[in-house]
Amino acid sequence: MANSQPVATLYDAPMWQSLAREHMQLQSCGHCGTLRYPPGPICSACTSMDYHWTDLSGGGQILSWVRFHRAYFDDHPPPYNAVAVRLDEGPIVVSNLIGPEPEGEWIGRRVRLTYRCHLDRTQHAFMLFEQS
Amino acid sequence: MTGSLSGVASVIGIGQSDWVGDHSRVRAGERPHDSYGYGAQAFLSALADSGIARDEIDGLIVGPTTAYERVGELLGLNVRWGGQADAMTAVMEACMAIHAGLASVVALVYGNDQRSAQVNYGGPDAQGGAAFLAYVYHAPWGFTSQGALYAMMARRYMHERGLSEAELGEVAVAQRLAASRNPRALMRKPISIEDYLASPFICEPLHLFDYCLINDGGVALIIAEAGKARSIGRAPVAIKGVGRYDLNRGATSLEPRLLDYYLPAQQAVAAQVFEMASLGPEDMDALQIYDSFSLHIPLALEGYGYCPVGGAGRFMRETGISLAKGLPVNTSGGHLSESYMQGWNHQIEAVRQVRGEAGDHQVEGCRHVHYSSDVAGKAISIIYGA
Repeated sequence: MANSQPVATLYDAPMWQSLAREHMQLQSCGHCGTLRYPPGPICSACTSMDYHWTDLSGGGQILSWVRFHRAYFDDHPPPYNAVAVRLDEGPIVVSNLIGPEPEGEWIGRRVRLTYRCHLDRTQHAFMLFEQS
Repeated sequence: MTGSLSGVASVIGIGQSDWVGDHSRVRAGERPHDSYGYGAQAFLSALADSGIARDEIDGLIVGPTTAYERVGELLGLNVRWGGQADAMTAVMEACMAIHAGLASVVALVYGNDQRSAQVNYGGPDAQGGAAFLAYVYHAPWGFTSQGALYAMMARRYMHERGLSEAELGEVAVAQRLAASRNPRALMRKPISIEDYLASPFICEPLHLFDYCLINDGGVALIIAEAGKARSIGRAPVAIKGVGRYDLNRGATSLEPRLLDYYLPAQQAVAAQVFEMASLGPEDMDALQIYDSFSLHIPLALEGYGYCPVGGAGRFMRETGISLAKGLPVNTSGGHLSESYMQGWNHQIEAVRQVRGEAGDHQVEGCRHVHYSSDVAGKAISIIYGA
């Protein structure tokens, strides 16, 4: 095994830099305002190639979640969770829920963006909104 | 329908390597063949089954795990037309090439040494990342493996559509029953719903029995222009309809999985393939559904209209999806229990069922078989018939 590695295209780099500043930003379409995740060269909603990097409100909702019971990476010993979060701005990001876990149903719970140092990088994570 | 591919081509030969024997040898530490060797064995078996001579082949499609030119070189096939494709696309492309007059007899050859070569579908060197960004993009959060992608989809689907864990378990139980009657299947010991529920989670909510096997092997088919196929003598199996619709928007952020459950793609394909074949779901005697994971089965049952949307759990539990009860699905045991040949084993099982040559796992009076796959939201269907 080995450690997990981010995909680092030309368009991902500024997002990872914003995560390192603990101030996550995504591209906002210069024409229609749609946010892009993963970052990329063109808006899939309107095909405009214009964009600017924009702040996030930090709010979101859990769409789904899983718990890994098998080891795939040295830096992620099981068991651990992964959550699919729909950001209030629209995009769906896959991340980890840290801190207290929900009692009962996870799907539909409000969460807020936070940051976690992991290996040599800072990456996004989410916490239950009620715990903030 | 103008330009319909219905009835244009027929399968005249099928073949495979010795999945069961090779699996034992691989587990004992041997490497019986590489992907090319398994493909070669399957090709020879399909050629013998077809009864044609090798030099009648004028088209070649190889699976994604082998290089096109090298397979052609090894098998001594100079051809008019060829390429590389997954199982379902290969069958469609063979029909298209024959319809266009670019080839008249196409060999489809797949070999994969994924078990002995220790191919990984998750982790730092996850297979498929070059084609599907979702397979690698979420790795920093530990979210890896195609199983995890389906686990994420399954959790929300179960919540929204009311599918219970035990209802999903019907898939593994039904397919194991089929495998128990199939001497070519790797996993033949029957299991119960209780066994399923007691089996370990891999990526929760999916259990071990929701996952496909990983084994070595090969599969081949010979597909010929329909008139030529009839003249060969052995009862050809016609390709009566094909259809395809791909969901690409939002794929890496999992939108087709978590928001659509692939439903719009399957409904679009259903309209196309059933119209092309002039048949409906009620005419199908068996289904073959690409089952890297059990979840594919309820998705397809709903997507193709075999049950109402939201009704798959009840359908699987009450109507049934096994050789013993209801609408038989994955009658060989599929990827979960027969062999993980990435959709290729489903094609030859469909042909065996229509020929009436499936032995102890034969569906009585089987005339039409519907094959469906929806890998990563790319929905494809093929209808085989006598």
